[in-house]
Amino acid sequence: MWDALAKGKRLDGRDFGEQRPLEIEPNVIKKANGSARVKLGYSEVIAGVKVSTGTPFEGLENKGALIVSAEVLPIASPHVEPGPPDEEVVELARVVDRGIRESEMIDLEQLVLVPGKIVYTIFVDCSVVNVDGNLFDATSYAVVAALLGAKLPILEMQDDKVVDTGNTRDMPITTVPVSITAARIGDYILTDPASEEEACMDARITITTNEEGLCAIQKGFTGSFTADQIKKAVDTARIKGQEVREKLRGLAK
Amino acid sequence: MTQTRNLIDENGKRTDGRTIDQMREVKITVGTVRNADGSAFIEFGKNKIVAAVYGPREVHPKHMALPDRCVLRCRYHMSPFSTDTRKNPAPSRREIEISKVMREALEPALMLEDYPRAAIDVFVEVLQSDGGSRCAGITAASVALADAGINMRDLVAACAAGKVDDQIVLDINDTEDKEGGADLPVAYMPRLEQVTLLQLDGKLSQEQFNECIDKAISGCKMVYDIQRQALMQKYFGNETELKEEVATQ
Amino acid sequence: MHDVRRRYVIPGDKIAEGNFRPLMNVIKTGGALIATRIGIAESGRDGVKVIPLSGVYIPRVNDLVIGKIVDHSSLSWEVDINSCFSAHLPAQDVFGRDFSPARDDMGKHFAIGDMITARVMAFDRTRDPMLTVQDRDLGKVPRGELLHISATRVPRLIGKRGSMIQTIEQATQTRVLIGQNGIVVVTGRNPEGTMLAVKAIKMVEEEAHTANLTQRIKVLLNVPDTPQESAVSAPASDAKTEEMGSGMDDVEEELEVEGEK
Repeated sequence: MWDALAKGKRLDGRDFGEQRPLEIEPNVIKKANGSARVKLGYSEVIAGVKVSTGTPFEGLENKGALIVSAEVLPIASPHVEPGPPDEEVVELARVVDRGIRESEMIDLEQLVLVPGKIVYTIFVDCSVVNVDGNLFDATSYAVVAALLGAKLPILEMQDDKVVDTGNTRDMPITTVPVSITAARIGDYILTDPASEEEACMDARITITTNEEGLCAIQKGFTGSFTADQIKKAVDTARIKGQEVREKLRGLAK
Repeated sequence: MTQTRNLIDENGKRTDGRTIDQMREVKITVGTVRNADGSAFIEFGKNKIVAAVYGPREVHPKHMALPDRCVLRCRYHMSPFSTDTRKNPAPSRREIEISKVMREALEPALMLEDYPRAAIDVFVEVLQSDGGSRCAGITAASVALADAGINMRDLVAACAAGKVDDQIVLDINDTEDKEGGADLPVAYMPRLEQVTLLQLDGKLSQEQFNECIDKAISGCKMVYDIQRQALMQKYFGNETELKEEVATQ
Repeated sequence: MHDVRRRYVIPGDKIAEGNFRPLMNVIKTGGALIATRIGIAESGRDGVKVIPLSGVYIPRVNDLVIGKIVDHSSLSWEVDINSCFSAHLPAQDVFGRDFSPARDDMGKHFAIGDMITARVMAFDRTRDPMLTVQDRDLGKVPRGELLHISATRVPRLIGKRGSMIQTIEQATQTRVLIGQNGIVVVTGRNPEGTMLAVKAIKMVEEEAHTANLTQRIKVLLNVPDTPQESAVSAPASDAKTEEMGSGMDDVEEELEVEGEK
């Protein structure tokens, strides 16, 4: 691998800043309010949106609730064992959740039924079906695509009860967040690491941007970065993010 | 998140009276937990956190031992009385994530190859929390690891910066964390000039980000001076200055 | 005669730059010699090292240690030496080459719970430390008061050429066995003397890094202060000089830094 990197190419022939082929299949789960299956290289994630109602989060009484979670299924890799989520999966779910939440992708203020008491609760659950590197981006794209194509059932209050009017509307989307993950191997920064690259990386950084700028970052793994490497990775993530944003917008509709 | 009210007044004073470049008061005491191999108590603003290190010690269960290096385990935990509303003592997903990023922040500094088939356990307990507890926890853990005599390439100092009222400020407190525009905790190895933890919640433009990371790193350097002073104080008593002697043998 | 520079350091501190050899607790990166532990850094002609002031015991070959028998297989005893590495003493070391489990009863020789003094024969990254008791004054330890002190305090407790420990022994009518691993056994004929020795040893451990410790120990033991403290030398046949073997350099340096000469 070092020989290839020294020549400016990766093992699979990609450039350092090149992403693997991205496939998005919207609305794969008919029973969900929204869904998408995403393949990034051979990493595969299915996300499903289920709309329900509930109480708002503490301190956020005038906003709907959004809960993003993820699970890596035992079928996804020989190393995954069934059981409660381990710290890697907890991190994955929280990083993806933060990317969506901090970008304010969904205008949650439009999702209130009774202020302070009853709001729409949007659940987005992700099942990782195959592991082949960079689950952070694959999962994030699945959530974004699922939300972009989701149909929100229009609910209203009748006699203090929540009633489904039978009509639907699009999700109130304000922006499209895009997550770009890179791995550092020696002095090389590689976008969208595949599993062979993750196996020997020193450190990883996941950067989520929306149209205006950054909204979430997570440095991961046991190595380190210089401040300059991070600043450069942020710059790359913004530029690459714009390309992927167009793709997501186009493919999800 | 988008701010809803002003958190900095016309005189440039923040909710706790600080200016935008002022860090909260930090005090570190080394060796507070007698039974531990290394320990440190830190007060970072109103945060009160204790870090204890056990190790290198035998690995239990034995099958978790690694043949060529030490296993590092970290636990970040908040006591139920540490926050405004009582926190359930069971580990939350947030604590699990912080335990992980904390371990990943400390590992680059430790020479784990020196202790094959052994384990080092780091416990960080938040007794009172007020914004920036993970940075304070990492800072204390790093001092505790040095106190335990673990071989380290450098110390790890941590500090957060953020965006409040569209200005980049140093060391955000709890109110600024909850209501402000962005929060960027950073952990840094000052001699090696390497970032070992970096997370961002909130919106920043590229220029704001660059300013924010630089400010956080300058905060880390200030924290490092306090770490060094605390260790010097415990081990070398009143001679806290770098003492240089030339002797002939 | 050569110049030796000394400095207090914490991990990450740069001690020197250039063509020096990195010795214990020092790494060389990019031409600079960096301390990896808290301690006293010394750069001299042989190289740069850091004498650590904290840390659990990591065995070194030739160290004299005191350990407790915790188990035995048919071929060796497992010994707890207060380290993260568990040591073993091969049966062959005691019974000789033609050792036979059928004939020689291991439990009879060293039983579980026995304390022994031993020397570290072998230890590297790929296997746990191996001990030997083949030497005079090695073997079962007489009953007495058992103390755990930090391994980094051992040189201070021994003192220059055994001076500190001899001061304590003579003043309290006790015999003190010190292992490099921080295990200390005090045996004395009268309980007051033994307890006073224990108190003195604990004081050394707590205050090892401070100045004028010897004075304060003497006050504790009611011993008159003599000006030529450093001139005390131990008789060659005393087992303690052997224990000091690996700690000797550390001892001299620590004492001089405190300003005691």
